[in-house]
Amino acid sequence: MPIKREENEARIDDGARVPLVPAEARADDPVVTVSSLTKRYGELVAVDELTFSLRSGTVTGFLGPNGAGKTTTLRLLLGLAEPTAGEALVFGRRYHELDNPARRVGAVLESSDFHPGRSGRDHLRVLALAAEIQASRVEEVLDLVELDSDAHRRVKTFSLGMRQRLGLAAALLGDPELLILDEPATGLDPAGVHWLRRFLRRFAEQGRTVLVASHMLAEVAQTVDQVVIINRGRRVASGRLDELTGGGKTLEDTYLELTDGES
Amino acid sequence: MISELRSELLKQHSTRTNLGLLSAMLALVLLAVLLHGFGLRAENVDSTSEQLTLVVGWGERLGAVFGGLLGAMSITSEIRHGTIRPTFLVTPQRTRVLASKVLGSMLFGAAFGLIATALSVGVGSAALAARGIESQLDGGAYALFFVGGAAAAALWAVIGVGLGAVVGNQVPALIGICAWLLFVEGLLVGDLIGAAGDVGRFAPGAAAAAITGQDSDKLVAPAVGLILLVLYAAAAALAGSVATARRDVA
Repeated sequence: MPIKREENEARIDDGARVPLVPAEARADDPVVTVSSLTKRYGELVAVDELTFSLRSGTVTGFLGPNGAGKTTTLRLLLGLAEPTAGEALVFGRRYHELDNPARRVGAVLESSDFHPGRSGRDHLRVLALAAEIQASRVEEVLDLVELDSDAHRRVKTFSLGMRQRLGLAAALLGDPELLILDEPATGLDPAGVHWLRRFLRRFAEQGRTVLVASHMLAEVAQTVDQVVIINRGRRVASGRLDELTGGGKTLEDTYLELTDGES
Repeated sequence: MISELRSELLKQHSTRTNLGLLSAMLALVLLAVLLHGFGLRAENVDSTSEQLTLVVGWGERLGAVFGGLLGAMSITSEIRHGTIRPTFLVTPQRTRVLASKVLGSMLFGAAFGLIATALSVGVGSAALAARGIESQLDGGAYALFFVGGAAAAALWAVIGVGLGAVVGNQVPALIGICAWLLFVEGLLVGDLIGAAGDVGRFAPGAAAAAITGQDSDKLVAPAVGLILLVLYAAAAALAGSVATARRDVA
């Protein structure tokens, strides 16, 4: 099945065109709606008329070469940066319009967003206080990511894998419906990657939604239901994994073809 | 707002940053007060104003410097270490985040000011007494000095938050505060005559000193100093808030 390279004109009918949603999905509204999203930094166009949407209960891989605009898109979605044009909505609203957003959206953008001198537990307590989340939930998420015995240590003593898990614990504090992760597998050992994969699948099986930006195609292929591939800020493909990998093609073949072999 | 403030207070006491700043401040107050208490000629420290300004005044000056530093650290260390991202994800209303930093830093700043002035009064009085120089400071002068020192450091902490939010980068923000308070203001309210000397009295460091009753023949009255410093702090907080609200987070 040949892959048709999509036009760059904005298409907001993504949800209708691609049956991304299982029929039993509990919400009709897309969890994430990105429409004609554009972000310019002076001359540089980081995100260019990007359009896609995600329904609940799915794990979506967000793929593209370095500098394709993945992280910028996530930052726009999370209200950390303002779009130049277009919009990025979560649950039909701009992020800062959500009431207590930590209870609906959990996100990990960098593996190093910690004060090195603060303990893992205090990092979570700081966020729990601001989000009005009970202290007992801090212990729950520490348990979940298996950091409970190390949480008293200062983050500067943590390995990269432990930091990734601490970041994930922070994202899960509010028991969110949507999880947004940027390169979550970086620094995880094989057991950690396996654990993350199973975790994300279970998360989605509960009707929740995951958007994961990643370079690790092999890893992504084993975890996600669907992918959105972007290159130079523009969407070059999207759809269910089986649609993009049919006819003996691997996700890697498709990806390299669509991104001019850049990686 | 209460939840953001509680979060901010935990942020500030869950690292060793403020403890480190406090230790450095106490060491410098001790050094400065001992040097001046023992080192100045007796005839230069026998009046109320001289004792207040030249000996114990170091508690106020260093309290203001370190209040400013802790305020600036509260925002620039979040930018430096990236914790600003999770902070804004939990509280996307950035003005609330900044307001919690202003309030939290004021509380820690006031404590720094009280500790610094208490140490400088204690050590300064002891040094003068050891030399047989009679203390000219009465209860009212001490009270004004303590309360004024706490207010000066608390308001400088607000200036630090605002400056830190505008500058963003930690090192220039910290150097800027030290350079301004310890060097530039010294030039402005030194022995300059004419316009520069007149303007210097209204600078934010001189206003902080005025609140504690120091150098009353050169500086403005304590109440005027307080009003001036409140205005500086409000302007800094506003500028910081505007900068924080508008800027994309990397």
